[in-house]
Amino acid sequence: MNLKLNSWRLLVALTALTVLAACGGTTTPSTSKGTLTVAGFNFPESSVLADIYGQALAHDGYTINYKLLLGTRPIVVTAIKAGQVDVYPGYAASELEYFNKGAGEATSDPAATTAKLNTYLQPVGLVALTPAAAVDANAFAVPQAIAAKYHLTKLSDITPAIAGQLTFGAGPECPTYKFCLPGLTSVYGLHFKAVKTLDTDGSLTRAAFKNGSIQIGLVFTTDADLKALGLVVLDDDKHMTAADNVLPIIRSAAASDEVKTVLNNIDAKLTTADLISMVDQVANQHMDASAVATAWLQKNNYSS
Amino acid sequence: MEFLGSIWRWFSDPTHWSGADGIPQRLVEHVQLSAESVAIGALIALPIGIALGHYGRFGDLAINISNVGRALPSFGILVIAFQVFGLGDFPIVLSLTALAIPPMLTNSYVALREVDPDVKDAARGMGYRELTQVLRVELPLAVPLLMAGVRTSAVQVVATATLAALISGGGFGRYIIDGLAQQDPIKGFAGALLVGLLAVATELSLARLERVLVPRGIRLLKAPAMQRTATFKTA
Repeated sequence: MNLKLNSWRLLVALTALTVLAACGGTTTPSTSKGTLTVAGFNFPESSVLADIYGQALAHDGYTINYKLLLGTRPIVVTAIKAGQVDVYPGYAASELEYFNKGAGEATSDPAATTAKLNTYLQPVGLVALTPAAAVDANAFAVPQAIAAKYHLTKLSDITPAIAGQLTFGAGPECPTYKFCLPGLTSVYGLHFKAVKTLDTDGSLTRAAFKNGSIQIGLVFTTDADLKALGLVVLDDDKHMTAADNVLPIIRSAAASDEVKTVLNNIDAKLTTADLISMVDQVANQHMDASAVATAWLQKNNYSS
Repeated sequence: MEFLGSIWRWFSDPTHWSGADGIPQRLVEHVQLSAESVAIGALIALPIGIALGHYGRFGDLAINISNVGRALPSFGILVIAFQVFGLGDFPIVLSLTALAIPPMLTNSYVALREVDPDVKDAARGMGYRELTQVLRVELPLAVPLLMAGVRTSAVQVVATATLAALISGGGFGRYIIDGLAQQDPIKGFAGALLVGLLAVATELSLARLERVLVPRGIRLLKAPAMQRTATFKTA
């Protein structure tokens, strides 16, 4: 009898808890315009960009959750499609070639690339806003010694004979990504001695350059530490890489006119020089990404 | 069904069976990394465990230290070792060895500790020297428990060697990491499947090795002993 009574009490208590929790989940603080979740890729530049978007939206009155360093593009895109993320800083050409499964439609024109990207985003409930002037393109770098030995300044300087002596290193997505290894093969006709799977312009790539296990590798044009590492970026003289301008990818459901205005205002001010200096501060000087983002926003009159 | 079909197509594609990224090459890498780690771990753990178990001393200390080893995540060790030693197989083998040691150390200690003291007395009474006694009397009796430790280590190491791909190493982990990065879930799943199969194969082959190593006398002893307990319980 006693036992029965207890289980009834338990049931009532659990039901009450569940109802309370459900209520708590739906109510939002009246001062906030809504909650948005901002995500970033797993490299420092993306954290700074996500922080800039997030802080600007917070300044406008939104409550912001951050999912920084969430992962590679497949992970971030899966999260935003599932509605676990509302906005992330993308790159026009890279997003297009991701969503069209490497169809090769990206060009060096950011506006056209973004328009094309939106035709793929719309059916999955996403939208890309106006691209910024800031570009972070893939680039290919060699150590100074290699550049001097083979007289390399641009990618077309690499002859098939030279390529046959070089080991190439890049992230795991490179062998299937149009603006990486397939591009080097189809546009420049390069077949390297070996291809080493590392990371996308991270500490593995730097370690591999350092111990000589690769002689050419993928870097970003916004890297500020290439000179210090003794690396030379080879000029993409046949324009293989496409318009990787920074732009926000946002869930259509969350893309109110106000949110769009805030993010487009940010993009109107963001330059490649800003990116280089901010990436330098975070990646090389180990400053906090959110502090670097705050400093940029203050410089651009967002201080509250 | 569609999914199973894609998996089947992945495995029946001949390009996945040759070259630097082919299954045979990845298998060799995976087995090599795992075998090196378990072998080095065994060279460290078994002598210590056997000696401590034989003398019956410092057992708590050994087990506690090796339990600290269990608490250290392999991924953490891998990242730190990569920072210190740079790119290559060394950081991978180091972190996997750290994973391999605790089960072998604990099990070999307990295995030697559990040898019947009467048997040890008898060995001494028959004039066995200490080393001979360990090698010819205690060790054979300890094999089942000791090998269980080796098996646990090996299976854990095979399953964890996928981490190698995170710092540009080889092995089946390559398919999982690359599959994720290349939007190729089938490749990732195939990698996971291959790791699972290899872990099962490791378990089975070590179980067979264990049966070979266990002295015939103990094998014969086991069956009636179990029957005895059974009858005792029902009575």
